[in-house]
Amino acid sequence: MEKFQKYYLSLLVLVIYSNLQAQVNCNTMQDDNCKKACEIYNIASELQGTAKSQEAFDYAIKLCPTFSNLYKEKSVPYLKNGDFVTWKVLIDKAVGLDPKMNLGYRGWCKYQFLRDYKGAIQDIEALEKIYPTGYLGYSANGDYELHIAKAICYSALGQKEKAISIIENQLAKKDHNIGFYDYYQLGVTYFELGKYDKALENFEKQSKQNDFAENIYYRSKVSKVRNKDYLDLKKLALKSYDEGKTMKDSYTHHYNKVYRAQIEEL
Amino acid sequence: MKNILLLILLIPLFTNCQTERKVVSKYPAHVGNVEFDEKIDDPNFKRCLPDGSYAYQYYNGDSSGIEYKGEKLEIIRTLEKENIQSSRDINGYITFRFIVNCEGKSGLFRVQQMDEQYKEKYFEKKLLEQLLSFTKNLNGWIPKEIQGRKVDYYQYLTYKIEDGKVSEILP
Repeated sequence: MEKFQKYYLSLLVLVIYSNLQAQVNCNTMQDDNCKKACEIYNIASELQGTAKSQEAFDYAIKLCPTFSNLYKEKSVPYLKNGDFVTWKVLIDKAVGLDPKMNLGYRGWCKYQFLRDYKGAIQDIEALEKIYPTGYLGYSANGDYELHIAKAICYSALGQKEKAISIIENQLAKKDHNIGFYDYYQLGVTYFELGKYDKALENFEKQSKQNDFAENIYYRSKVSKVRNKDYLDLKKLALKSYDEGKTMKDSYTHHYNKVYRAQIEEL
Repeated sequence: MKNILLLILLIPLFTNCQTERKVVSKYPAHVGNVEFDEKIDDPNFKRCLPDGSYAYQYYNGDSSGIEYKGEKLEIIRTLEKENIQSSRDINGYITFRFIVNCEGKSGLFRVQQMDEQYKEKYFEKKLLEQLLSFTKNLNGWIPKEIQGRKVDYYQYLTYKIEDGKVSEILP
């Protein structure tokens, strides 16, 4: 029960964190024009993607050209619409103005929307140079702490041992809030190296925290590799899939996402 | 409360923007909106909602990414059966953006090509045409219904090209 409460408390913190990211306290602005630009930002952000919103950002940028949030928020609809050329021009301006605030976000988006693993690693490692021992923040969707996101990118580039080492180090930190899929991603990476004991250990940890079809599928796969009965778990994975208990992302698919057909084919 | 007051104060600003937009605005009503172009678009493709109506984005509603019969895996596996690749070892991204209407038919295709640094570049024509044709032939799009109303929606597919081959499909 205590674990359950801790888990949901950390989720709550994440949700609050994501919402706080969008809205800015404009009273901290020293310059009057920047304060006005900040207030416009808060309202225009609510109308994301509309011509009115984009025009309001342009107006606010004229008032306060150094306020990086304006470029960042103006870039978002292009990212979501698949216009990555325009997105990149705008997000680069935001990063140039305030790397601390925007490097992690740009890196995450490079990974999430384009599977640009090298570009994402570059940004997250640049952020680590700014905060060498500390907290990097979370992915824009709140699913992963950025060290974990970086590990996923290394895993995708084939550097599995390095990915494992980064995740294990991060999970060992006392102040790390376990993410939705941390143990799962670690488990799959061990599985890919043929380390089935460690893989299973992590899939079981994942199932205690937040179980879903993909995680059950991999537990079933471990059983199959070991010539043990795996069909009950396969059936359970399919049931969970049909109940909607899967890895979800409103914009793209997750790394190591497993589809229903793949579970059926096991 | 403070935000509401500020919104009221900003209405003249937005109204001015709107008046100006009709004349010189560089933005469409919503970022990414596509209008029918008789030079390139199929005249038989019909949007279900009247002209000027809002088309939703693919991620609006109860969405979990691509909504396709057999999920995204079906698109990946269909592409694997084709022999689509460039004659050169090039890298970058090709994105096709289009509308899926309430019958699940697709149309109004637009393309963006870029290199690994996210700068516009032009891939060889053959690769582009093969991928466009592949994308146009996908016929498993699931129509979207929002609040009981069938809608048109925007979808895009990005092909990540590594060494001349498609290595991943997004979103």
